[in-house]
Amino acid sequence: MFATPAYAAAAEGAEHGGALFSLFGLEVSSVVTTMWLLMAVLIVVSYFATRNLKKLPETRLQNALEFLLEFILDFLTQAMGSEEKAKKYFPVLASFFILILASNYSGLLPGAGHLPGLQAPTSTLSVTAAFAIVVFFSTHYYGVKEKGLSYFKHFLEPIPLLLPINVVEEFVKPLSLSLRLYGNVYGEELVIAGLFALLPFVLPLPMMLLGLLFGLIQAFVFTLLAALYIATATAEGH
Amino acid sequence: MEIHIPDMVWAIINFLILVVVLNKFLYKPLLSVMEERKEEIRKNMENAEDAKAEALKIKEKYSEEMHNARQEARSILERAEKLGEENKEKIIAEARQEADKITEKAQVAVRREKEEALTQLRNEVASLAIMAAEKIIDKNLDKKDHEKMIGDFIKEVGDVS
Repeated sequence: MFATPAYAAAAEGAEHGGALFSLFGLEVSSVVTTMWLLMAVLIVVSYFATRNLKKLPETRLQNALEFLLEFILDFLTQAMGSEEKAKKYFPVLASFFILILASNYSGLLPGAGHLPGLQAPTSTLSVTAAFAIVVFFSTHYYGVKEKGLSYFKHFLEPIPLLLPINVVEEFVKPLSLSLRLYGNVYGEELVIAGLFALLPFVLPLPMMLLGLLFGLIQAFVFTLLAALYIATATAEGH
Repeated sequence: MEIHIPDMVWAIINFLILVVVLNKFLYKPLLSVMEERKEEIRKNMENAEDAKAEALKIKEKYSEEMHNARQEARSILERAEKLGEENKEKIIAEARQEADKITEKAQVAVRREKEEALTQLRNEVASLAIMAAEKIIDKNLDKKDHEKMIGDFIKEVGDVS
């Protein structure tokens, strides 16, 4: 099954798998079902982990989740400059981090990219672009919400002549966000699939370990940049 | 590397759902518990700080009171010593007076006793002398001579004594 045309097949497998079925008139592909799976796991774990919270954590799950949230909060606080801001935009940014991390790691599951219905969502540009679009709109939404119409003044700074460049920059941001994430995850999957095709036993292992690291770093970078964009858009005195 | 619009739409919908649900079931409860804990720790630390300050104040007050009490005890002791000294002198003086009085009384009594004894002795001697004289002169004298003789004799004895 993993034999001769394996490299090509593996590469193909990491490509879009096509529609599995339709829901509300929208095609549902493997990346969408994988997202649903990840969301279901995240939501179920969250639900049961927070059923019986204690001021003194008694369960390892509460400890682990507190550690995760504390870690994200610290990191956002450092990126955005104030804990108040980090807390305000915490739901969106932490969800990006958690979902992207889970998505990246879902590519390491056995059969990901081969089995129908299981494909790392962040290994497709469609999904990373969608995330970047959410960042794009939420950045400007929060900017206007915080500062009103004066938010748009920053497009004329430092001199009005730079308006076109500032506008282009705003559109480059989501482009770079989505391409960076997609390229890293897709590339990594391709390498793992290739190594797997050459020798399915020990060979892909180092790359999969690296994949754990890269998956974390990419989730980190995406969230950090999104946090910086929002922090800049909502910053006082611009 | 192609864009599939349905995937994008689903990704956006999924993400927004996840934000809402995780906010309700993960972020809010967990962050509030963490915040409460932080608040409690902060409060406890403040309380501990206050309690420490309070304890120090009490300790200071206590040591001051201790100092005062010690001073008072010392002054009481001094007063008591002085009082005892005065009492001692008074008692000794009184005792001396009493002793003097007793001595005087005793002297008076002795003197009186001596006088009485002398008087008695005088009377005794007189009667003895009469008896002796009677024996000697064998009732030769009349009463008048007799009395004169006795008187002389008494005078003699009185002079001697």
